[in-house]
Amino acid sequence: MNRVDVNSLVGHWPFRCLYKNTFKDLKTEHIKNNIDYGYVASLNSIFYNDPFEGDEELNSIIAGSGYKHVLTINPLLPNFEYDIERGLEEFNIKGVRVYPTYHGYRLDNENFLRLCQLLKDYKLPLFLPFRMEDARLNYIIKPDNIPYYDMQAFLIEHTDNTIVLLTGYLGEILTFKDLINENPNCFFDTSGLKDGQFTIEKLLDSFAPEKIVYGSLYPLYTMKSTKLLIDRAKISDDSKNKILYDKIQQ
Amino acid sequence: MIIDAHAHIWAGNYEQSRADIINICEQYGVSRVYISGLHSAYPNEDEIEELNEEVAKFINDYPNYIGGYCYVNPRHENALDVLKKGIEEQGMAGMKLWISTYCNDPLVYPLVEKCIDLNFPILIHAFHKAVDQLPNETLATHVADLAKRYPEAKLLMAHLGGNAYYGIKPIIECKNVWVDISGSLFRRDDLDYTIKLIGSDRVIFGTDMPGASYLVNLGQVEEANLTDKQRQDIYYNNAVSFFDRGFRL
Repeated sequence: MNRVDVNSLVGHWPFRCLYKNTFKDLKTEHIKNNIDYGYVASLNSIFYNDPFEGDEELNSIIAGSGYKHVLTINPLLPNFEYDIERGLEEFNIKGVRVYPTYHGYRLDNENFLRLCQLLKDYKLPLFLPFRMEDARLNYIIKPDNIPYYDMQAFLIEHTDNTIVLLTGYLGEILTFKDLINENPNCFFDTSGLKDGQFTIEKLLDSFAPEKIVYGSLYPLYTMKSTKLLIDRAKISDDSKNKILYDKIQQ
Repeated sequence: MIIDAHAHIWAGNYEQSRADIINICEQYGVSRVYISGLHSAYPNEDEIEELNEEVAKFINDYPNYIGGYCYVNPRHENALDVLKKGIEEQGMAGMKLWISTYCNDPLVYPLVEKCIDLNFPILIHAFHKAVDQLPNETLATHVADLAKRYPEAKLLMAHLGGNAYYGIKPIIECKNVWVDISGSLFRRDDLDYTIKLIGSDRVIFGTDMPGASYLVNLGQVEEANLTDKQRQDIYYNNAVSFFDRGFRL
């Protein structure tokens, strides 16, 4: 059974120097943390005017590694559908990642809704981050949070999509508990669980372990921190395995 | 051995705060946790008294695990008396300043001078924020100003100053300022960046629990690019020096 990190990245972050941002760094840290592979996206693609160029870079780095390529899409750019087709053909992409708060659209934007429909048709998961940085630590660009009602409406209206919510705080995840549980293909990752003690134990009071996926947001965040949340949780080995194994593909 | 130099009990939630901290100590083998009581941003005198009483009670109940900071609002006329009581009667190990004033406000001077007399360490909340900066919320530049005015004072700047890129450079040359990593910051490179600038001798482990995760903070030290010696200094030895009232600058 493969243990997977659904929220890993490679590339540059324009707001600070990342010390461990290469694919080699990522693999090394995964090995140290007993993770077999990751769903990996390009940090560069977030900021490139043509994100696909960042994904070409990423593909040249991870091809043949066993890591799953997650394509970055900005649906406000023209003919993003073409990029998804190419991503499928050329990179064998396993999902699409979006950044509404960086790219400047809301979750009811018509282009974004078209993207969601396309992902449903292709049976590709949507990776949707709540945030990339703690808002207090942003520099130069200060993206808003996704408004609560936008997220709520989105989760209500897209029960046919596979959705992986990334870097949500414990309180946010619990706020959307019912909606997450109602969609069998909605998951959330661990990378935002910075608040409070025994968070995994608390989450298992509200969710089946199959709803939680391990995600680190490495190299922006510390992989060891999120991995310790699972490794040291007082839960059964079976529950730990269910959190760590790759269920996105299923 | 691990010392957590920055944790809290919160008014209205004392029992849960205490239970979380003791559970963390017992489950994860933390040797000692230094706590302060907190509640409202601008506490009145009664609130300060209650918070410090609760801390003293926690120290008495768990002397092996718990050390305490005497929380002081420098705006209060009785602030110096609160500090004296904390030191002489309540068994506190340091003074805590939060967000009632900037830490370099002249109202703070007599308190710092008292701490210097007794070689009593001072924990200072400091947080640079891109959004929602509070009025009177101390920044690293305020800490540096206080440190230069009082080079004999032992100061612990919390949270790496909030954002390490604003927090560390101002205190580089202030050898009387230690920094703690506590909080919910999570970023992979903050600790490596800090150590690149000021070395590891002035870095102290803290968590800000129960609000912030002990394990998340632990993971930051575990993953940082450190030697075993540096890691042990951050977890334990640097805090021992900081709290040692026999160790003068």
